[in-house]
Amino acid sequence: MIGLFFVLIGRLYQLQILDYQKYNPLSKKNSIRREYVSPARGLIYDRNGNLLVDNEPIYTITITPAKYDTNNNALLARLLNVKTSDLRNKITEAENYSWHRKSRLYTEVDFGIFSRIQENIWRLPGIGHLIESKRHYPTPAKAAHLLGYLREVSQKTYLDSDHYQLGDKVGKSGLEQIYENYLRGKQGTSYKLVNAFGQELGPYDNGNLDKAPLQGSDLYTTLDTDLQIFAEKLMKNKRGSIVALNPQNGAILAMVSSPEYKLSKLAGRLDHKYWAKINADTTSPLFNRAIAAQEPPGSTIKPLMALIGLHLGVITPKTVINNPGYFYLGRRYGDHAEPGKYDLVKAIAHSSNTYFFTVMYKIARNGLFNKWHDLASDFGLGHLDYVDLPGERKGILPDSSYFNNRFGVRKWSIGDIINLGIGQGVMSVTPLQMALVSAEIANNGYKVQPHIVRAIKKSDGTFLSTDPVKKKISWVTQKDIDVVKKGMREVAVEGTARWYANVKNIKIAGKTGTAQNPRGRDDAWFISFAPYKNPKIALAVLVENAGYGSQSAVPISTLMIEKYLTGKVQRKWLLKKMINFNPADTTGTDE
Amino acid sequence: MNNWYKNFDWILVLCWIALTLIGLAAIYSATQGPVSQFLPSYIQENFFKQLLWVAISIVILIIVQFTAPRTFQQGSYLFYAFCILLMISTLLFGVEINGARSWISIAGVRFQVSEIMKIGTILAVSNYLTSRRNISAEKLSSALIAVGIILLPTGLTLLQNDTGTALVLLSLIPVMLFWSGLPRGISLFIISPAIIGYFAVIQWYWGILAVLIVSIAVFLIQKRTWLTLTSLIFGIIIVAGVHIALYQVLEPHQRARIEAFTNPSFDPHGAGWNVIQAKTAIGSGGLTGKGFMKGTQTQLRFLPEQWTDFIYCVIGEEFGFIGASIVIIIFLIMLMRLLNVAGSHNHPFAQLVIVGIASIFFVHILINIGSAMGLLPVIGIPLPFISYGGSAFMSNTFMLAIALNMELYHRDFSIFV
Repeated sequence: MIGLFFVLIGRLYQLQILDYQKYNPLSKKNSIRREYVSPARGLIYDRNGNLLVDNEPIYTITITPAKYDTNNNALLARLLNVKTSDLRNKITEAENYSWHRKSRLYTEVDFGIFSRIQENIWRLPGIGHLIESKRHYPTPAKAAHLLGYLREVSQKTYLDSDHYQLGDKVGKSGLEQIYENYLRGKQGTSYKLVNAFGQELGPYDNGNLDKAPLQGSDLYTTLDTDLQIFAEKLMKNKRGSIVALNPQNGAILAMVSSPEYKLSKLAGRLDHKYWAKINADTTSPLFNRAIAAQEPPGSTIKPLMALIGLHLGVITPKTVINNPGYFYLGRRYGDHAEPGKYDLVKAIAHSSNTYFFTVMYKIARNGLFNKWHDLASDFGLGHLDYVDLPGERKGILPDSSYFNNRFGVRKWSIGDIINLGIGQGVMSVTPLQMALVSAEIANNGYKVQPHIVRAIKKSDGTFLSTDPVKKKISWVTQKDIDVVKKGMREVAVEGTARWYANVKNIKIAGKTGTAQNPRGRDDAWFISFAPYKNPKIALAVLVENAGYGSQSAVPISTLMIEKYLTGKVQRKWLLKKMINFNPADTTGTDE
Repeated sequence: MNNWYKNFDWILVLCWIALTLIGLAAIYSATQGPVSQFLPSYIQENFFKQLLWVAISIVILIIVQFTAPRTFQQGSYLFYAFCILLMISTLLFGVEINGARSWISIAGVRFQVSEIMKIGTILAVSNYLTSRRNISAEKLSSALIAVGIILLPTGLTLLQNDTGTALVLLSLIPVMLFWSGLPRGISLFIISPAIIGYFAVIQWYWGILAVLIVSIAVFLIQKRTWLTLTSLIFGIIIVAGVHIALYQVLEPHQRARIEAFTNPSFDPHGAGWNVIQAKTAIGSGGLTGKGFMKGTQTQLRFLPEQWTDFIYCVIGEEFGFIGASIVIIIFLIMLMRLLNVAGSHNHPFAQLVIVGIASIFFVHILINIGSAMGLLPVIGIPLPFISYGGSAFMSNTFMLAIALNMELYHRDFSIFV
């Protein structure tokens, strides 16, 4: 008997003294629950300090399967107003994730349901709640491709990073993705005393161990909300994109890729039907055309061709080239411009192909093809421009090694090169790149960094400025720029864009273009800037399958300029016409 | 009765007082502490009910001291018969609590009849085994009658679905028979199923080892080949039986309950839950404990039945190794004292009664504390004087009072008088 008592005391010694280190944490773990406190995600403002994106609370019902009694299914389903079978599936899902950990059962339940669950929480062990937030978009601007949406963190990201809990949202496109690390903030932790039923009894150790979450940083963007809304309105029911930027610093004022999608439908609980719909849509609304559509620039390349030609000395402003109606090199290359003699300004204004075929021919003949590539590259073509959006594409700006790779050494000829002179052939650009070209001509040859976020406000109130510097493109001379700009101004005054670009009180300069589209009707381009003397806005507009740039891209651009520079639109009739504009209603193509 | 206080066994009384106070403190903590917010009011009241029972028990303790010890001997059969009748009526009209129909409600007060049945059984067996010179446990017929006296109430408690108490009653068989002359080897043989069964549940090879050791011990003590062989064969049958029962007969959830104590993580949220929480409570108490009413396992309601079956965990968690081992030491002192008293008593009836009482206490203590620490399967019987439970506290005090009475009158109550 004494022996057995010593066994008892021995066991006591083993449990309390030897294994104390094992059981003490166990009892703590039992009664202390560590919870992650999600930080408020950073806000996004436009250039005037108006909110573009903020957060609104959503109520989520959670479940800890180990503590949940499945006999309560019927009651819970009734409170949640869902089918019992649906609830059972959700519970199984939660069980598969973790038996002991809290998982989200129903997110974004309405406040009435949330309150009803709270009233009955005492007879629903294992059921809890989270008050989370979802993104909210206070303005009528869609800006879907700019702002981007959030999705639940993937299993892989969750495992690879210690910033996330399963079910956390992470930016998957737009600014939300690029600035994820800033917007996210830092998770806090709180320790709660819980009893055996999992009921929370308040903070543990008076919250001394708790760490408050660090709120995400706010983004201050360069976007002009009114202009963005206006641009979206103009692009309604059309495919294509608008990129508007400040030519002085590369700040993006508005950017539209149409068709768009609604961010609010992707916030919070995912609307699966909507998600499936926009994914299956053949017009690819999720695709950001403004930075990823790669099209031949068409005649919009001509101002840049002129600058390069002047720099390389193959032409002067006074060079006059006769246009017989075609350019001949082994065969006839067509020219839509009126036959006659063209100097540089006139060649730009009326988009003479012969003139620029000649320029390109001389470049190639003088062995300056690769030089041409480098100079064009200086304006931002053929490589990424690192705008702060995901999915940017670099387009194609060929040089001899590109042709060698693509066609094989000596398998290509001067004929392949001269097409580049009018922006056709093996060459492609994005609307953003063309907007940059326009801006860099407008600002007299300064390279600017395209950007949307100009400052980041950290949670401690300090600002992180992201304003990028602009740099002179060394080979561009003011004399050359002036001639080219004059040509672009003439486009609006008496050239290809004269019908809609000759706006009273605003001097607009620009260049039309047509991108040959192998899949359908040609796409219409217009690059522009205004005011002519001191440019405040530079644009590139691409309307897919619209054929005539002068009837689609030009009016859209000039309405944008009018709206931005004067705050209102005088030409209401034109606005109405453009909103209702359908590319299929027009015919033909211009240069 | 001059100088009664000199003959009075103060050590036993002090032990009783200490255990009662510790018990009250533990029940207070387990029902009135911060945990009370999670407890229904009828459980919170348990502390005050227990206070009332303690008061009643004190009265009983005192009254018993004014009774002549011979009365217990003379009245033993009558009392036994009365208890048996009560047991039968409980079976017929009793109240069922936690699945056991072992409670009878008299004027609104619930009483667990099997508690006084223990006393009746001890008195009756003791009386029978010491009533005539020719009756002795060494004689098979007498031994069988004595076993029958114990088996009758055991069967009734089993019918009441109260396995714990049945086990306690069964434990009287080897103790009483051994004390009244049954050879040691045979006594060992009788208790061997419990030992072998215990090890066989843990692992079958441990069971076989236990069989071998028990058989060798039986041989060394008794030097009788047939007994040793019987023990060996019987032991192997037990191991095989346990194995078959575990894996063939029992449903998985029943097996889980038995295996819970050997391997709690087998089913941490079912049968193993209690064992894990109990061990965690005791283990996290450390040397000095978390302090009165500060045990997180206790106060946050992680412990099941913490005012009765798992009250030892409350003590272990809140008073630590020091407090928990003091309780064991007090029990040890109490039992040693009881055996000492029994051994020095001149009357065989008194001897047997006290040994029986000590045996009942011992089994309760061993099973209760053993299961709280995960050494034994959870059977669910109270810890004497400490657990909440009026009938148990009263009956235990009554038993101690009888032992005190026998000691008090040991000069008057003797075969020489």
